[in-house]
Formats: sequence, structure tokens, C-alpha cells
Amino acid sequence: MPVLLVAPAVLVVVALRIVPLVMGANYSLTGDGADNGAFVGLANYRTLLDDPVFRTALRNVGLLLVALPVAVSVPGILATFLFLRVPGHRLYRSVYFFPVVLSPVIIGAIFNVVLSFDGPANQLLVRLGMQPVDWLGDGSIAMLTVIAVHIWATFGMALVIFMAGFATVDQSLLDAARVDGANLPQTVWHVIIPELSQTIQFVFVTTMIGMLTGMFGLLYIMTAGGPGGATYLPELYIWVQQGQMNRPALASAASMVLFVFMLVVGFAQLRIIKRATKEV
Amino acid sequence: MSAAHPSGKARRPLSPRLVALASFPLLMTVAACGAASDNGDAGSAAEGGENGKLVVWDWKSGDAAAQAYFETARADFAEKHPGVELEFVAQPFDNYYQLLGTAIESGSGPDVVLFNGGAQMRERISALAPLDDMLGDTKERLTGWEAFQAEGTTYAVPITLQGLPFYYNKAVYEQAGLDPEAPPATYEELEAVCTAIAETGQDCFSLGNKEGIGIEFHLSTYGAGVFSAEQYDAWLAGDRDWTSPEVKQLFQLWVDQHEAGWYNDGVNSTAKFMDEYTKFQGGDSAHVIGLISDVAHWKSFDEFLGEDLGVFKPPVVTDQGSSFLPAEGGIGYAVTEWTADPELAYDAVESLSSTAALTDFYVEAGAIASDTTIDTSGAGIATVGDIVSWLPESKPLLHSALSAETLELMHRLSQQLIDGGVTVDDALQQLAATDQ
Repeated sequence: MPVLLVAPAVLVVVALRIVPLVMGANYSLTGDGADNGAFVGLANYRTLLDDPVFRTALRNVGLLLVALPVAVSVPGILATFLFLRVPGHRLYRSVYFFPVVLSPVIIGAIFNVVLSFDGPANQLLVRLGMQPVDWLGDGSIAMLTVIAVHIWATFGMALVIFMAGFATVDQSLLDAARVDGANLPQTVWHVIIPELSQTIQFVFVTTMIGMLTGMFGLLYIMTAGGPGGATYLPELYIWVQQGQMNRPALASAASMVLFVFMLVVGFAQLRIIKRATKEV
Repeated sequence: MSAAHPSGKARRPLSPRLVALASFPLLMTVAACGAASDNGDAGSAAEGGENGKLVVWDWKSGDAAAQAYFETARADFAEKHPGVELEFVAQPFDNYYQLLGTAIESGSGPDVVLFNGGAQMRERISALAPLDDMLGDTKERLTGWEAFQAEGTTYAVPITLQGLPFYYNKAVYEQAGLDPEAPPATYEELEAVCTAIAETGQDCFSLGNKEGIGIEFHLSTYGAGVFSAEQYDAWLAGDRDWTSPEVKQLFQLWVDQHEAGWYNDGVNSTAKFMDEYTKFQGGDSAHVIGLISDVAHWKSFDEFLGEDLGVFKPPVVTDQGSSFLPAEGGIGYAVTEWTADPELAYDAVESLSSTAALTDFYVEAGAIASDTTIDTSGAGIATVGDIVSWLPESKPLLHSALSAETLELMHRLSQQLIDGGVTVDDALQQLAATDQ
């Protein structure tokens, strides 16, 4: 009975994924507080649209997507240097990977100290004759600061993937380029990048997943959504509405919006991965 | 991955993704019943009592200074119910209400729960058992009930009082050429003090508004000095006019004080607990608006500043304003509605609010207990005598009357007011819209 053989997997998926999803969708159409359990149609979704904090959270997701090329190019460039065996490349290889093993809570706590107004980063700026910056307290730059810290904390993993990709670069092509008199930028542009195209696509996908799902811890520790709601992401919004504001139905609606967004991104990713692995 | 059809001709099967997407709205509509929160109409969990264990949630039992209090309460309860174990689960305060929210949604969890007075408890009364019928003499012995009542019903028993006095560092006053024994009584005097202190290069106040809580302290302290007695009482009773000149003045003071440089740099990235208070304890500033129980209070400041620590009531700002210590019930224990035996759970609350236990809480942890029969004259710290003497004329905190939603918005707006993202008028309009 082949049906029986797939039953355990199907049961796990249904019980742990599909049922909670349907329940969440169901809750998102009910009310909170006095309306608990009552069908309210799309009222929660309208509340979300009217809530400037949720709109900021969605805008910040857009900001993450804009920051994606930076998050991919940083490990890409550093991996290229390591591949070209810059002096001390063995040491750098370990150092670059080190932040990956730290938990976001620890990284957040460290950067809270480093980036505090009277912290070391600003002391350095002042010594260099510049004005101190309120890295986490200025609404216009706080999100960029947290994204930068996230990139610092996670680029090591992408670097390792790039290093693995470099191992597959055809040495004879590099030799041919050298014989033809190609300089370093030409070698990178005409040989290394085309050879690494599949790796780059894969890193794009994994980095995007990391950014969309893995920033809660950092945000929670570093800014908790502030200042003025400038650093909210949908996950943090859901967490706050569910726990602090005691509005689980609204949190469910926000979860459904995030789910649909992730569904779209997920399908795009699947497409890219399929193309990257030439699996048609 | 798509397999070729056995006939050799690739046939495109109906995509499972398409099926899922198509059926999704249907599922949502069909399933549109039930509730996001547990209605709590069925006594869902039967943990308490039946298996000889009562679970108490708090954020205090891991605190070394509070151990004597918990031991005394535990012993008192063990005497009354030898067969029932009292299990204290210390949750991290940062996540406390999130964790509690999860327990409430599932309709199970602790039997007795520690709460802050005001909004946090009032938002969750559907999960709590009314206690009025069980209180008896306790009602007379303790004070601070208002913060734990909603619509005339009592849902928790206060164990401490919480208030917001101004603490100051007498050494900084002396450096600035001010009389350390004559703290300001009016806002004009406070302005003069801050001007004198600015000349010494120190901050007049330490402030951390990373979580936005700074505005709560601002509102509840300066509010007494701005509002008339009638306006103050009306605010507490729910009759709040956010567009009145007094409310506008209160929020304008928040902006003006920042522009006048009263506070440390980086207010929006400084944590109130505890970076703000660490700065004050370290002598970096002249004043801080602190608490009277739990943390950031007379006992913790005394360890660092000793005899340099002074305290005064919020200053009078307008002609109609007055000066008193805003104070009310601080933290208190509630009984959850799903507990198997509410009377047994209430007995645990009674042990936790007994005079003997609260005396330990006061002596060891420096909490101003809600028990009026405790003698506070032997503390040996001058400031506590002042604070206790102000309690009889105190009134509840203005921000405690606001809903969690309004407070959350006020936190965000307070940060935007500092960095210029919103004007006072805009902020008040938004607050008026949520505070219906």
C-alpha cells in the first residue's frame, strides 16, 4: 500500500503545517477582545493597512531586499580575495566565519555596547574629528545599522559557500586568461563571475531567506522596534500584537500577510534554484 | 523535477501548488469560526490543586534580594496546606507578558500570576478570577487596590506600592553652587537648577527612552504639577481631553526639556532599565525620575550615593497644579480563571501578601509594601522616611489609566517627538484617536 508508506510524512505536514495555517487564517477573520471569536470579515486586514507601524514593517522588508546585493557582494568580494591568496588568507578565513557561530542575542548585546551613544564607535568618530552618531536612536538610520550588523553576523556562511564555488572554477580558464594578459578586474569579470553564476544565485536565495526570517533576535535586542517604530519587521509586529497587546486575531492577520509574501518569495526562489541547478 | 509520461509524451499534471492556492480561500471561509483567544468557558486545565501543586508565575522569585520574602510566603502556605506544593516559576520580565499571553490563549498554565498594576492587568481580566468575595480583612490591611481593579471588581492583591519621586544627587548640587538641602518645589526653580547644573558640564537628568517608557514617567510626574485636582481625577476616571491646553503643555515640556539640553545624549538609544539609572548612580547627572519599589529605588541608589541621595516630589508647574507623590499599587498577585480550585489559589495569594512575608520584602528588597501595618521607621535611610510620609496624600499614576494600545502609541510618539518626526499637535491627535 504506497498510500500507507507516505502517511507518516503526510500526517506530520498536515498536523504541524496545514492545520495551524488554516487555524491562523481562520483566526485572522475573527475579532479580538470583546469580539473574541466573532466573525469580523476582513476588518483585521483593514486595521493592518491603516496601521503606520505595519506599513513601516513592510517598507523595511523592501529595504531588506534592497540591501540584498550588498549582503551577497560582501562575502563574494572577500571570498575572491581569499581565493587569490592574499597574505594571511588562512587567518582571515577563520576570522570571517567566527560571527556565524554566535547567537543573535549575543551579537545584539555586543553591538548595543559598541554602538551606544557614548560607546567605542562614537568615541572613535569623535577622535577622528567627526560628530557622534546615534546609531540605534536615530529613526532614519537605525534600520540600516541593524541590517549592517546582520550582514556582519551572517556573511561567514555565504563566504564558505562562495569558497566551495571557487573550488569548482576551471583552473585552465584562469591560466588561459593570464596567458592572454587579462588583469585582475578582467579576470574577475570575464572568468570568475560567469563560472560562479550558479553559486551566486544560490547565495542570493539563502541570504534572502536569512534576512527575511532571521532578524527577529537582533531587532528585539538592539532596538525592539524603536525609535518611533522605525525598525519594525512583520515578525516583531506579530510578536508584539500577540503578546504585549493581547490581540492574537490581528497578529494572525499579520501572519497571513507575511505568509503570502513569503509564498511569493518562496516560489521565486524555487524557480531560481531550479534554474541554478539546471533541474528542469 | 518533472517525470516524463510513460507514453513518452510529457503530460503536465495538475500542479499541487495550483490546487493549494485555489483551495486556500475556500478553506479560510469554511474555517471562519472559533476564536484566536481561548474563551475560557470550559475549565480547561486542572493543574492546580488536583495533583498537589500550585504554579505561580512571576519575575521576582529568581531575585536574590527577594528570597526571604518567598521563603516566608512558602512556609506560611505550607502550614495551611501541607499537601500542596507551591512552585514558583521566574520568567524573564522582558518577555513576561508575551509568555503570559501565550498561556492565556491556550487557557492553561499558572494558577497564580504576578502583575504590574494598571493596563497590563486590565487588558487580561477575562483570564482572571474576581477576588472580592474572598478578600475579607485583607482589604483593610493593604492599600493600592485601584491599580488592580477594573469596573469596580478586584482582580489582584497588591503587595507593593509603586510611585515616581524625583531623586537627586546632593554632591552635584554642591558642585553647581546649589543648596543640597533645598530641592526645587516649582518648575521655575527646577529650570534654575538645571541651568546651574548645565554650567558644570553635567546632565540635569539621566533619561533612557529606548523602550519609550520615559514618557510614562514624564506624564505621571509633571501631570500632577500641571493639572488641577479636578482635571487629574477626570483623567483617571476616563474623561480625558487630549486637546486641552494642559495636556498640550505636558507634552510640550517633554520637547522643551530635550531642546534645553536637560538630558544625556542618545536618549532614544539608552535603555531606561538600567542604563538611565546606572548613569545617575555613577554621578553623571543631578536627577532621575525613579521608582519607590522593585528597582531604581531609594535602596538601590543608597548603595551608590549614600548620604548624597535626596528625594523630592514632582514640582508644581501651573497655578492650579499641586505637588504630591504619584503612587499606587505596584505589583500584585491574581488568580487565573482556569485554576481548578480558586480558593486554594487565593490562599497562596494570601500567604504571598501576609504581613510577615511583606515585611521581609520591604527589609530585604527595599520594596514599599502595600501593608500599612509594617513599621518603616527603622530603615536607616533618610529618603524612605520622606517617601512613606508622602504616601497618604498620593494619587494613582496618570499613565496607568491608559490602555496598552494608547501606551504603545505614546511610547513611539515620545521617540518621534524627540527626533522631530512628529509635532506635539499631531501626536496628541493620534493619541486622542486611540484613547476612545
